Amino acid sequence: MTREEVFETLTEIFQDVFDDDEIELTDATTADDIEDWDSLEQINLVVACEKKFNVKFDMKEIQALKNVGEMVDTILAKL
Amino acid sequence: MNTYKFEELSVGMSESFNVTITEEMLLKFRDITGDVNPLHNDTEFAVSKGHPGRVAFGMLTASFLSTLAGVYIPGERSLIQQVETKFANPVYIGDELTIKGEITELIDSVQRLELKVTITNQNGKKVLRGKMQILVV
Repeated sequence: MTREEVFETLTEIFQDVFDDDEIELTDATTADDIEDWDSLEQINLVVACEKKFNVKFDMKEIQALKNVGEMVDTILAKL
Repeated sequence: MNTYKFEELSVGMSESFNVTITEEMLLKFRDITGDVNPLHNDTEFAVSKGHPGRVAFGMLTASFLSTLAGVYIPGERSLIQQVETKFANPVYIGDELTIKGEITELIDSVQRLELKVTITNQNGKKVLRGKMQILVV
């Protein structure tokens, strides 16, 4: 899977979790950019990513993620 | 109260308990919530709508899901995150309900479990079914 493909799939996950087809992600997107991105949805995002990409995160990785770009790179490293 | 830790839980584990719906419960729920809808408060009205008596508040029935998670599974370490419910059939005063939860998924990374929940009445009829996502903290 290329970085672009991971990015595209992650965008679909975000749109699904936040029930908003208008969401467009960049590497710099953070929780400050998406109104409903709170601690509950962070957990839902992690769970959705684990299922979609068939990967496992650990708590430290999750807490260290600063933006979408880091999320993409973390997923890519696990594929 | 149960005190399950995340690592003590497994898919397929279940817990259940029983509750009988009383008139006092309906009165207390009405006082707390302010829901004075006659379907729950006026027997004549409820009968005119085809029910044998006042219908218990759906959210009163659902409120026992709080007990299911907070006392039974996982118990003390429970933090409810999400609840989805369907009110499959009406509940009446005197109904004896069995509230049951079964673990269908455990997510290690976020220490979260998914519980399939069902509430059945004394006739074995499902009155509520749904899902809960619960953190084990």
